[in-house]
Amino acid sequence: MQITDYRLQIKNMNMKKNRNLIAILLVTVFITGAAFKQQAKITVKGSDTMVILAQRWAEIYMQKNPAVSVQVTGGGSGVGLAALINGTTDIANSSRPIKLPEVEKLKARFNTLGVEIPCAKDGITIFLNESNKVKELTLKQLSDIYQAKITNWKQLGGDDAPIKLYGRENSSGTYTFFKDEVIKGDYAASCQTLPGTAAVVNAVKKDKNGIGYGGAAYAQGVKHCLVKKDDKTPGRLPTPETIARNEYPITRYLYMYLRNRPSGEAKKYIDWILSPEGQKIITEVGYFPVR
Amino acid sequence: MKKIFTILLMITGTLAGYSQNPADTLQEKMETLTGRINSLDERVAVNESDLLKLNKIKVSGYIQAQFETTPYNPAKPTDPENTFYVRRARIKFTYEATDGVKFVLQPDFSTGNLTLKDAYAVASLPKLSALSLWAGQFNRPNYEVEYSSGQREVLERSRVIRTIYPGEREVGAKLEFNPVKVPLKLQLAVLNGNFTGSQQKDVDTRKDIMARAVYSLKFSGAGIGIDIGAHAYYGGLMSKIKYVSDFENKMDSTASNYRSYLDKKWGGFEIQAFFDILGGMALKGEYIAGKNAFIGTSKTDPYKTRKFAGYYAYFIKNIGKKNQFVARYDYFDPNTKLSGDTAKKEIYYKTLTLGWQYYLNDNIRFSVNYEMPKNETNADNKKDIKDNAFAIRMQARF
Repeated sequence: MQITDYRLQIKNMNMKKNRNLIAILLVTVFITGAAFKQQAKITVKGSDTMVILAQRWAEIYMQKNPAVSVQVTGGGSGVGLAALINGTTDIANSSRPIKLPEVEKLKARFNTLGVEIPCAKDGITIFLNESNKVKELTLKQLSDIYQAKITNWKQLGGDDAPIKLYGRENSSGTYTFFKDEVIKGDYAASCQTLPGTAAVVNAVKKDKNGIGYGGAAYAQGVKHCLVKKDDKTPGRLPTPETIARNEYPITRYLYMYLRNRPSGEAKKYIDWILSPEGQKIITEVGYFPVR
Repeated sequence: MKKIFTILLMITGTLAGYSQNPADTLQEKMETLTGRINSLDERVAVNESDLLKLNKIKVSGYIQAQFETTPYNPAKPTDPENTFYVRRARIKFTYEATDGVKFVLQPDFSTGNLTLKDAYAVASLPKLSALSLWAGQFNRPNYEVEYSSGQREVLERSRVIRTIYPGEREVGAKLEFNPVKVPLKLQLAVLNGNFTGSQQKDVDTRKDIMARAVYSLKFSGAGIGIDIGAHAYYGGLMSKIKYVSDFENKMDSTASNYRSYLDKKWGGFEIQAFFDILGGMALKGEYIAGKNAFIGTSKTDPYKTRKFAGYYAYFIKNIGKKNQFVARYDYFDPNTKLSGDTAKKEIYYKTLTLGWQYYLNDNIRFSVNYEMPKNETNADNKKDIKDNAFAIRMQARF
């Protein structure tokens, strides 16, 4: 009788062990399966500077890969990165590097640092009205202009007229990049913020005393101002040559950010963007390739 | 012929009249519309200016409603065994006056517990935007304290943090250094100390000092990030009576104890490692040890000085975009100098907590937690207290 009980106990123990093993296996399969889930649709959100480029990439890629849907929206680099953190976009386009507080949020929500992919280069162009006599500005002068330390075109060799400042909203990566790399201080309160580079270009086109900045691809109908690193260096325009040689003083990378290292369709899409075919489109749109 | 000529003249005149009048009307309409557009432009400019001011105010918040169950506890017979409960109901108002200058106000409206959580101003220092000055009531500089309740994977903080930083916040001033190009964070705070969430002013004259440093390492190729840091607390608590219970729970009633400062000094090391493996994974931990002091009122309830130690370790695994598994093991011994029967009620706890989060969307999160504390046994606590707790929480944030 005792032996039978003992056997029963052993049998029960084995059954318990087996059940635990099955439970562990099921959890492992579930976790692994969920983690490997493939994306059929790729959502891209963020930088307004990159919208034209991103849409062009998406159009051509979808023509070549009809089974894949790439949805592109703008809103600004900050908006795109916020969407990446919230899990509402697969790729965030950004015209500035991700900020530390944004990485912290990504860590908190997804336990990753995010993946940064420099996909194009841009020279931030300084837009002037075509009637403006000023042709070139140094970085120091640009900083002083946007901090309202220089307030009249006469101080720069132009007409006796007040300088009207146009810039981007603070959710824009271009706003942040220009502030950190050119102004190196705070924007003047008089700077009128506009919701896109196209709007900045349009404002400067209409305002003979206006000055604005933005991505090179948008600069149509306005004068491109030569930019000098300092008094001793020659003025440059953002051209493929000056960008490639790092001669244009306001050169930046344009980035794509992902939560995790890319896999599946997202990886194929990014690989294509970085391929000679994808990089060729950058030049057509008006930006500069990284490869 | 004359008649035909007259009719032709009349038709021509009429046509000419018709062809001229619409042009005049069109011109007038154009002018009217241009005037209206100009007027609308002005209105839009005024509205934009007002909107810009409103854009500086940000309102966010969250509500955490939960159902929790705990076994019947003979020591607390009136406590319910299960209950619905609003754990937190917070609204955070942030006014960003200019870049780097902001004011934050955050009350908590949870049932029967209206409290002020945050009330502080932050200003970046001129020409040194990486350095910011904080003043008011804010979180103490510690990893688990600063990790938002709205984001945390386990419903409550670990026991050691809840004990040494009650209420998480403190009143004081803080300098924070976050250089843009170096992954380093330095914090130095001067605080009233001893804050439990209700005192308006300091309970003694000596201010407590807290410092924390965190350095982030990034191994992009491997998808790994490691943050390592340390923090220290240097403070004291003024004894307003002469009765002080020492580290070994022995009464010291020498007259010089009156208005002397009891040590509140401890230090801790922290590490957080993040791995980009199949959806993200994190391992986090912190060890803290030192001396703490507690307020007393009389000979039978003296001031207490205690040596303590505690740690916590988290394992967090993201599963897809919406799910997250978490396990936390934490330990806290409120009096390391005593153990067994001599520790009486100051026993250590080792707690394993398992949890699961499901993010329905950006605003809604469901959490399930099962907490299994295991306590030290002695003459006062003969067996493990039945205090395992299960909770399910719905969090809505905006």
